[in-house]
Amino acid sequence: MAVSDLISTVIMGFAVAAVYFLLSMSLSLCFGVMRIVSLDQFVYYSVGAYMTYLVTAHQASFWSGLLVGVAVSCTLAWAIEETLFRRLYEKGTMFSMITSYGILLAGIGVIKYIWGLVPRPVMAPITGQVALLGTTLSLYRFVVIGLSALIYVGLQLFLEKTIVGKAIRAGIEDADKTEGLGIDIYKIFTVTFLISAALSALAGGLHAPLIMVEPEMGLKIMGTAFMIVIIGGLGSIKGTAVSSLLIGQVVAFGFLLWAPGAETAPFVIMLLVFLVRPRGLFGSAYLKR
Amino acid sequence: MPRWLKRYGDILLVFGAVGLLRLALPVPFVIHAVIFAIYTMAFSFLIGRLGLVSFGQPVYLSIGAYGTGIYLARFGTNPYAGLFVGVVVGILFSLLIGSLLLRLTGDYFALANLALCAVGFFFFQKALVSVTNGDTGLWYLARMSSTPILNLRQPNNVFVLALILAVLVWLLMKYIDSSVYGAACLAVKGNETKLQLLGYDTFGVKWLAFVLANATAALAGALYAIYFGFVSPASMELVRAPEVIVAALLGGAGTLYGPLLGAFLYIAMQDLVSTHVLYWELFVGIMVVLIMMGDEKGITTWLKPIFRSGWQLVSRRPKITRTP
Repeated sequence: MAVSDLISTVIMGFAVAAVYFLLSMSLSLCFGVMRIVSLDQFVYYSVGAYMTYLVTAHQASFWSGLLVGVAVSCTLAWAIEETLFRRLYEKGTMFSMITSYGILLAGIGVIKYIWGLVPRPVMAPITGQVALLGTTLSLYRFVVIGLSALIYVGLQLFLEKTIVGKAIRAGIEDADKTEGLGIDIYKIFTVTFLISAALSALAGGLHAPLIMVEPEMGLKIMGTAFMIVIIGGLGSIKGTAVSSLLIGQVVAFGFLLWAPGAETAPFVIMLLVFLVRPRGLFGSAYLKR
Repeated sequence: MPRWLKRYGDILLVFGAVGLLRLALPVPFVIHAVIFAIYTMAFSFLIGRLGLVSFGQPVYLSIGAYGTGIYLARFGTNPYAGLFVGVVVGILFSLLIGSLLLRLTGDYFALANLALCAVGFFFFQKALVSVTNGDTGLWYLARMSSTPILNLRQPNNVFVLALILAVLVWLLMKYIDSSVYGAACLAVKGNETKLQLLGYDTFGVKWLAFVLANATAALAGALYAIYFGFVSPASMELVRAPEVIVAALLGGAGTLYGPLLGAFLYIAMQDLVSTHVLYWELFVGIMVVLIMMGDEKGITTWLKPIFRSGWQLVSRRPKITRTP
């Protein structure tokens, strides 16, 4: 294996990890704060991707497409949260999981109705190439990595410094006690849900130029995204970041070495992690439910 | 009323009704629904008795289907032997997976099963393509040999076999309910630590239940494999993971009749929608959301009072009044 292969694989791994991070972060936030399994995040992911497709198809800028995707997803998420999820917070995880599965299915139906079954390509906004140690790499991958890192830092600052972020972290620790402090926990839930939807839409929009946009794209990424969340530990932000970096590299190297390994290796890693830590890498045993 | 009728009257009534449905409804629908009911009963046992929620049930169904399918396509021709192979493969697989995954609690268990389903789909679609033919699937309907008593090459006989097996599974569930083991299962759902303090090996209790339920799911898969005459990875898609949960909750998880009712209603809904509507996902999705707005008891809870009043109307028993 040449050094150039190695480098391009590592960069690819980071780019994949960046997308996975955004998506599994939204799942992890939803689980951490509200204790719901929110499969409808994959609808927002698809909506984000389709909106970038729609906007770039009308000759507008890719970045505005990204913003439109976030806006549409947040509106959708707000409506769904107000009407459906409000009734599910008190029930078990199973109910939120199946309901959000229904939403996911309905969302796929709507997408198929509007755009059909044909996979659509999205042009990368930056077509430049970078020469690095004998290989040429697409500049867009670096942009994805940089943006994702920026979002991670921004999210950490938001959670550490602002009062809403602190309330969200308190909600992850113990929602009941947070409510006891006089914080309207349902408002925190809504804010968290909107942040998650925005992250998912960003993930979809950024992922779109790397893959084809198709109705069932959300289902394709679902297994891996959930494995990342589980490996990192449900509800842990740091764990999600670490495990998405890990799985990103594993997937990239899997494609390089043995293609079937790319999809199986995350599962094997998950089982190995479970043998040592049944609650994932950074999962806390004190998370209440 | 003789004692046996009192004891088994309800099962005669229910499965007699299923048998009668066979006359009124198209055969493919009834076969599909009965096999799906076996699958749903297994899941309902896990969720209602053990409190174990698994989001990856299709993988256990498909392991059974592939056990049967690979046997029939590559080794033998006898469908009964295929059924047996499918169930044995299901038992071995769930023994292995159970020992790995049952150490997890609650949500981790559910999501790890989801991941298992994703990986299993990938395995049968791509990694084992030389054995399973990938998306094309294995076709062996013509290879199956005729068998003397119940010739499984005819759908009618598959229905009879499925109904018999459904009754047996139902009786097993009923027997477990009345046994000490069933009580231990319920105790695991209620408070596992307490049961451990009483000296029970809770892991063993869960393991046995997991293997029982998933071997039953594998049986359902094997029946599907024999009925359709082919297996493909489509049965393991992640989209299908929640359908058994929906069916179980629709009828009421943990009840004895609930899974039957839920399975029939769910299959009926899916069949109607997918034959008449082009974009069935949208409608099934909306139905699922509406069903989930109810609770764990499902529709049997509000059907019961209706039937009870109907029964009283028919039997006209004198009401027992408590007079001081």
